[in-house]
Amino acid sequence: MDKKYGVYVCTGCGIGESLDVAALSAVAGEEGFPVQQHAFLCGPEGAELIKTEIAEKGINSLVICACSRRVNFDVFRYDGCIVERVNLREQVVWAHPRDQFPKLTEEEKAGGDAFDRVQMMAEDYLKMSMARVKKVILPEPYKVESLSRRILVIGGGMTGMAAALDAARAGYEVTIVEKGEALGGHATHWRRQLPAGMPYAEPIAPQAAATIAAIQAESRITVKTETVVARIAGEPGNFTVTLKKPGEKIEFDVPYPLPPEMKVDENGKELDAEKLQEVYKEYNKGRNDILTLDPNGEKFGAVVLAAGWRAWQPEAGQLAHYGFGELTDVISNEQFEKIAKAGKIKRPSDGREAKRVVFVQSPGQGDDGDFAYTGAVTSMVALKQAKYVREDYEDGQAYVIYQHMRTPGQMEYFYKNIQQDPGIFLTKGEVVKVGQNGDGLVVEADNTLLGEKIQLKADLVVLATGMVPVTVDDPVINLAYRQGPGFRDNAIYDGYCDSNFICFPYETQRTGIYAAGAIRRAMTVEEAVDDAAGAALKAIQCVESVNRGVAVHPRSGDMTFPDFFFQRCTQCKRCTEECPFGALDDDAKGTPKPNPARCRRCGTCMGACPERIIGFADYNIDSIGSQVKAVGVPSEDDYSEPPLRILGLVCENDAYPAIDMAGLKGLSFSADVRLIPVRCLGSVNVIWIKDALSQGMDGVFLLGCKHGDDYQCHFVKGSELASIRMKKIGEALASLSLENERVAQFEIAIDEYDKVPQIINEFVESIEALGPNPFKGF
Amino acid sequence: MAQRYLVEPDVGFVKEVISLGGVDVKKCFQCATCSVVCPISPDTRPFPRKEMIAAGWGLKDKLIGNGDIWLCHNCGDCSTLCPRGAKPGDVLAALRMATIRAYAKPRILAEWVNDKRKLPILLAIPAVLFIVLGLITGLLDFTPGGDEIVHAKFFSTWLVDLIMIPTFFFAIGVFGLGLKNFIADMHANALAEGKTTKTELNPKEVIQALGRVVLTVLKHEKFNECGENRDRATAHMMVLFGFIGLFIVTSIFFVVLYIFQIHGPYSQLNPVKWLANIAGISLVIGSLLMIRTRLSKKDQVSTYSDWFLIGLAFALGLTGMLTEMTRLGGMAGTSYFLYFIHLMFVWSLFCYVPFSKLAHLVYRTAAMTYNEWAGRK
Repeated sequence: MDKKYGVYVCTGCGIGESLDVAALSAVAGEEGFPVQQHAFLCGPEGAELIKTEIAEKGINSLVICACSRRVNFDVFRYDGCIVERVNLREQVVWAHPRDQFPKLTEEEKAGGDAFDRVQMMAEDYLKMSMARVKKVILPEPYKVESLSRRILVIGGGMTGMAAALDAARAGYEVTIVEKGEALGGHATHWRRQLPAGMPYAEPIAPQAAATIAAIQAESRITVKTETVVARIAGEPGNFTVTLKKPGEKIEFDVPYPLPPEMKVDENGKELDAEKLQEVYKEYNKGRNDILTLDPNGEKFGAVVLAAGWRAWQPEAGQLAHYGFGELTDVISNEQFEKIAKAGKIKRPSDGREAKRVVFVQSPGQGDDGDFAYTGAVTSMVALKQAKYVREDYEDGQAYVIYQHMRTPGQMEYFYKNIQQDPGIFLTKGEVVKVGQNGDGLVVEADNTLLGEKIQLKADLVVLATGMVPVTVDDPVINLAYRQGPGFRDNAIYDGYCDSNFICFPYETQRTGIYAAGAIRRAMTVEEAVDDAAGAALKAIQCVESVNRGVAVHPRSGDMTFPDFFFQRCTQCKRCTEECPFGALDDDAKGTPKPNPARCRRCGTCMGACPERIIGFADYNIDSIGSQVKAVGVPSEDDYSEPPLRILGLVCENDAYPAIDMAGLKGLSFSADVRLIPVRCLGSVNVIWIKDALSQGMDGVFLLGCKHGDDYQCHFVKGSELASIRMKKIGEALASLSLENERVAQFEIAIDEYDKVPQIINEFVESIEALGPNPFKGF
Repeated sequence: MAQRYLVEPDVGFVKEVISLGGVDVKKCFQCATCSVVCPISPDTRPFPRKEMIAAGWGLKDKLIGNGDIWLCHNCGDCSTLCPRGAKPGDVLAALRMATIRAYAKPRILAEWVNDKRKLPILLAIPAVLFIVLGLITGLLDFTPGGDEIVHAKFFSTWLVDLIMIPTFFFAIGVFGLGLKNFIADMHANALAEGKTTKTELNPKEVIQALGRVVLTVLKHEKFNECGENRDRATAHMMVLFGFIGLFIVTSIFFVVLYIFQIHGPYSQLNPVKWLANIAGISLVIGSLLMIRTRLSKKDQVSTYSDWFLIGLAFALGLTGMLTEMTRLGGMAGTSYFLYFIHLMFVWSLFCYVPFSKLAHLVYRTAAMTYNEWAGRK
């Protein structure tokens, strides 16, 4: 497209009072960009002005100097136009009030050696934006070869069935694969189920049968029992799925990546590409490579992973103090449920009636933690099972000894009701020992509400063991991805598959795969059914986004995708390995194979690429590099005491809004920094930092999200990868004989706007202490 | 290491507490708000939280001999502020009734007194007793003549005292036996739960403590510390002083009759008569106030045991006053009939007191005395 530029300066919201708008407009004029001013650009008149410009003058590349791009984005959206926003309001004028950053006096102006830091900043931002609009182009959507809207649901339990019903009722074809013989999963082994609706008072009849009937009545749902996924290849909207019988070995079983120890020779030296390929083929003998598509595979658009849970098993001797494994009448809640389902509650040891049952909720041994993988579920299950004892025996007694009684939400009503039963006894306490006493059991507990040390006689002791997601044992999804068949780094979630369950529920680390139910966290059927709706909607959002050629999440609707200039690729595989979402595969030579529909558009590959051959239509090495180069770096040639120039590359998800909020709250920070928003710190390419320093800027900082086990990065790994790259940048700095301290990375959360001034100012002070960049002026 | 306490919940006891008015006992989730807000609970081992837990678990052994449930004056602050509506005040009242029933022998009578279906039988007992004994001994005259209405002509004082005095001593006996067991249990419980360090009961100290406690009781000091139900103090005081006044009057009558051989009725100008009238009126008004309070407080449970006691007090006062008024008004037949009814209620009071809620007079005083002696703050 032929670009026709236009700059629009809004003088409202204090911009006109603070800045010399005429001088600012002159800056645009120097670049040959026509300028218009308006006192209220986001108002109806202002909007009309721009529309007229577009319609009459054919302006299609607009630089709007007004407020932050995080506000009024709907007002300043013009289809078919490149729109660049210069954030004069929040980050220039509001964050740098004139009582702290005074304008120049007439005398100072006449002197010629004084400068107005705020005006300088505004002019720099305008220059940077003009540089950017020159470099970016309008994106074209990516279309998959052939789109499938079918949804695959893995797991035929309550969650999977609910997800299938939701998706089918929304008009989508669904296939459920269930490894067992029949639908229903765990829910078919229960006597009763936790309440799932008002009044939340009593356990209800299991809903599995009714749900199975609903599935059978739904024509859009295909059920495949005794079936598992051998592999899922391709990308969302165009997955090729191979199914098989459990335990079967087939050529389309997914191949595994080589473990690190097999990638080196006996001397610890990395194997070359050819040798690697050889070892890889040997390692995965009998299994086709990931890039070989199964010609008989079924096509799906998205996957709901509802593979569920298995009961937690202690390691040998782990629960010896409870006699678990030794005493036959010490059982798990899962075993108890089976006994209850079979009839009246009897002791496994001698088949006698079990009238006194103690439910133990935590493993004791000093800390107050519950059993692993329990969440709130085991509290509620214990209440339900206590009720069974009372149902079966008029004189039955059920004791629940807990460290935590967790009955969230409406389930408090359930707790309240169960508690009212005269034969159900609840106390906080630590069960220290379960032993044999005659032909019964005796349970010893400390620190109970009834006293320091108590003992109870029991016929049966039930341990509240948790729900282990099956992904702990097996990848289940078996993705034919170069990074491997399962999710990466799942250990930080105890094996639950999720990318970040607070910010992005259902979204896993693999685009197009949506987790629901107990695979995500221990939850009740009621919660799992809600979860299923969420995951089903996510799956639908995914196929529809792929259809329109846009990103699903978190950059929903983003039409850009990474573009590779393959001629210059050195097959270093960094992009393939560092992509947090496994979007890139590679061929035998190591050349990356992009799968844009798997991509979340974070740009981590762009940040990783040493050859700088990866970029997006509106966000690439050149566009940001040009912005960096557009920053004015005054030297002693310009002023006797030139100001410092510091570049900040800030994450647009958390850091950028935090800085906007700081401005909104009137918190000020150094006027010598120039901020450039980036999609994610993971997308920061080291070349930008080198460029900044070699043009004389005095320091560079990265401001992004927290990383580590409880990371807050939208793209899981971005800020962590950036921190690794920043540690390695020392060598590059040494070659320029610059101090390591000139480059730093800081963490901030979106709500920590109050920390913005301190973070920026302290970095500026540390650079002041180092002195100006010696390259300044060259 | 201390012996582990073997917890043996009694589902039957939980049900008993519920049936005696502690209907919400199981709602407790042990937050301890009750103990914090209670204006009269001691700082060490405060009630009623521990009693709530024990009651919810049916731990009869921790409750029946527990003196703390008697320190409670049912102020109601705990019940009002309980976040779960477990109504600790009502639970403790139920526990007190359970205690009275546990110590009062014969047990069958305790059950009858607290069972509304047995009320007609209980009231029939004195009627039959008086008529049958009166007819056998000939001390009952259905045609009392004369110008002046003299109730003794109808019901010989001999007949009255022949029945009342043994009944009175029966009640004393039942109380004595119950109290002996109660004090022993209370002491054992206090030692076991660390409420006192004094191991030996010292009779002299206990009697001194009793003196102090009686004064506290008469002044209603504890009642006045209450928040929610402070207004009950007035009614309670009127009824208590009414009973004390009438007890004094009856004693004087008794002494005057048997020692000075002077028969009633006394002149209205006689100071003893003044006291009798004031006490009677106090009893009637006090019990009426109690009825009104209970009817207006819908959030607090009023059990049959509560109504039994208030009803008895009110009936006693009312029949007594009406008997006197009809006598003064010259309505001979009515007056004699009312006097008969009045006597039935007096006998019921004597006989049923150790089994009814009124037994709190003895148990609470004992518990407060014990606590005073034990020096718990």
